[in-house]
Amino acid sequence: MNTILMNTILIVLGIIGVGALGVIVYVIGAYNNLVSLRNRFKNAYAQIDVQLKRRYDLIPNLVETAKGYLQHERGTLDEVVAARNNASTANSKAAQNPGDADAMKQVTGAEAALTGSLGRLFAVVEAYPNLKANEEMIRLMEELTSTENKVAFARQAYNDSVMLYNTSRETFPSNLIANSFNFTAAELFIVEKPEEKQAVKVSFT
Amino acid sequence: MDFFQRQEIARRNTRLLVVYFALAVVGIVLAIYAGAVLLVNSQMGNRTDAGGNAVLWDPQLFTCVSLVTLFIIFSSSLYKISQLSGGGSVVAEMLGGRPIDGRTADLSEQKLRNVVEEMAIASGTSVPKLYLLPDEDGINAFAAGHATGDMVICVTGGALKYLTRDELQGVIGHEFSHILNGDMRLNLRLMGIVFGILCLAIIGRVLLQTRGRKNPLPLIGLLLLLIGSIGVFFGKLIKSAVSRQREFLADAASVQFTRNPDGLANALKKVGSSGSRIDDPNAEDASHFFFANGLTESVFNWMSTHPPLEERIRELDPHWDGRFIPVAPVSNEDEAKARPRPEAPDASRQPGNLFGAQALPALAVASAAILPQIGAPTARHLDYAADVIAKIPGALTAAARDAMGAAALVYSLLLSPDEARRQTQFQKLQDDQAIASETEKLFPIVQTLESRARLPLVTLAITALRNLSAAQYAQFTTNIQSVIALNGQTDLFAYVLQKIVLRRLDPHFNPPPKRAPQYYAIKPLLPDCAVLLSALACAGQTAPADIENAFNLGAKQLDDPAHLLQLDTTACDLDKIDAALDRLNQAAPQVKKTVLAACAETVAADGVIQENEAELLRAIADTLDCPIPPFLAV
Repeated sequence: MNTILMNTILIVLGIIGVGALGVIVYVIGAYNNLVSLRNRFKNAYAQIDVQLKRRYDLIPNLVETAKGYLQHERGTLDEVVAARNNASTANSKAAQNPGDADAMKQVTGAEAALTGSLGRLFAVVEAYPNLKANEEMIRLMEELTSTENKVAFARQAYNDSVMLYNTSRETFPSNLIANSFNFTAAELFIVEKPEEKQAVKVSFT
Repeated sequence: MDFFQRQEIARRNTRLLVVYFALAVVGIVLAIYAGAVLLVNSQMGNRTDAGGNAVLWDPQLFTCVSLVTLFIIFSSSLYKISQLSGGGSVVAEMLGGRPIDGRTADLSEQKLRNVVEEMAIASGTSVPKLYLLPDEDGINAFAAGHATGDMVICVTGGALKYLTRDELQGVIGHEFSHILNGDMRLNLRLMGIVFGILCLAIIGRVLLQTRGRKNPLPLIGLLLLLIGSIGVFFGKLIKSAVSRQREFLADAASVQFTRNPDGLANALKKVGSSGSRIDDPNAEDASHFFFANGLTESVFNWMSTHPPLEERIRELDPHWDGRFIPVAPVSNEDEAKARPRPEAPDASRQPGNLFGAQALPALAVASAAILPQIGAPTARHLDYAADVIAKIPGALTAAARDAMGAAALVYSLLLSPDEARRQTQFQKLQDDQAIASETEKLFPIVQTLESRARLPLVTLAITALRNLSAAQYAQFTTNIQSVIALNGQTDLFAYVLQKIVLRRLDPHFNPPPKRAPQYYAIKPLLPDCAVLLSALACAGQTAPADIENAFNLGAKQLDDPAHLLQLDTTACDLDKIDAALDRLNQAAPQVKKTVLAACAETVAADGVIQENEAELLRAIADTLDCPIPPFLAV
């Protein structure tokens, strides 16, 4: 009688143990998976960050080159510089905490403003053939275009990995783990207006 | 002892490890059973059998105990192993590592990147992903990964701050030796296995803390904890036994690689004064990965994962006076001045005769001289690699550091030299305008490259390509495959280049495939060898008689009594070669050695190995996971 009771206790204990172990292993696995997905999109933002910084470094040179020719367009130039500074601040905030909704909204807005003001500057440049033919200007604009392409490419990678993370965060059962360990939703990096999706393009024909 | 033997030994050690593990598990099951019997007997009042003896053998209890124990150990081991299948970056991130970007502006990070890239090109492996443990001030480093594709090298903030370039080179050389010896795969396996035993102790600790009257759990917990601790003790012992002997080997290889025993010795002397402790709580799990002891020095020497520091230094510097070098932050500016290296992408630098400065004579390497070089790069290779990197046009190195640029660079390397074909290839790339125009921009510069700069360039580009997202990688794969298909059978080198890129990137994006069967003999692989040798023979010569001759020279190297090897000039079909290379890659190291010997003979049929032939051979060896260092004029 005693042995049977013993065995039953042992078997029940065994089943509970195995079940608990399964749950623990699953929780650890899901947690690790979320962490690695989060690391992935943070790293993807670092890729954008590198290119954006390159862009912010190029703009002062561009303004410096254009200044000599554009005496009467101070307003446009100042606007570009201000937009660049804004975007730079917004980006360093976002780089510290990629995916954070506020920071991402700010950087998206600031980037849109910068792209807009650059577009206006380029439109102005069209009217100054000497500036348009300036070799330094050509080089800078070419590099700016290529950097914007790279930003777009890195942004696509970032958005892909944010989607992956958010999906895993929201689907059952990993959402239970995401909620209990405070994995917050990450924000996409979307360029707001359709015409700004186009990288700045200037033709020198 | 050559590369293949070292690989063989690493495999044998892995098998030995499994035996140790099995023994440890049997011991643990028996110990737990003994404990359980005592426990049951005391709880139930002394049970006696018919003869009045205490019941010691209780089959039901034994089955129950052993099933539960085995389940815990195996499931947690399997869990850890599957987690580690993510590759070296899992280990680096577990310890709090942050990836270092190829375009980093930080001078000491650039220094590390340059050292690692030179070594990767000198040894013919891909550039490992770099990680930094920013908060660790001790001097330490480790390499982790399964294969060349998912390798990671991780250094501590202290190593970056306190080590000069030469010392860093010594440390990285040590890590590369682990990579080339196949130690890393062994290390990962070790980590998974020991974790299973460790888990028992963890569960024991949890059970111990449960409360309640008449609750038997704390007692069971105590038992598990005790036995688990014994298991952990043996686990550590296994770890130390496997890891310690390999450290001396790696030190020696590093010196051979850098020709500079002082660099490594000084690094070790600095470790002596600054310490090499890793503070992260997970360091215990990974203790056997590190360059120097990552844990507090154990009282018991034989429990340590590393040989004593003093012994390692004396091995490198017999006249050492026993004093460690005090550490101070190294000024990167001074070092940069002492060693000018072009960093900024310089568009004005003329691509042209890339190696004009050292114009090597046509390579005439006897094929027999190639095999011993595999996995054993020397200081000359290192100098050569630095030279190659410095002479690649700045626009190309800049492109290689950026994900989009790197993708465009790979496309432009694969494009056909034939104008008409190239136009159709461009059509295929038009999906993404930006990349297409980037490719168009890079293509003329790539055209000026000598063929020996192509493999190094691809090597550099891989790091940045790991930053693609899964969707972008899928697109990239489709694109290069359609570009290759349009190349037709004209360009074997481009095809092999493409294969290298995909082989090195795939582990990063896709889970590793199921383990395929292994081939321990050449016989079942002979048809694949025939395909490969035919392709090589066709690629090297044009006259039918020469092709036949080249093929036969290679075939002679293979043991083929039944004459299964037949020259098949139609075999130069890329699909067939693809399948052949995949199967050959599943061969045991010694079999690969024979196959490569045959390839070398075929390639060298005309008495010399021309530069493009040499690169083709290196590329094929790379797809077989056998890194051949660049060929240098003797």
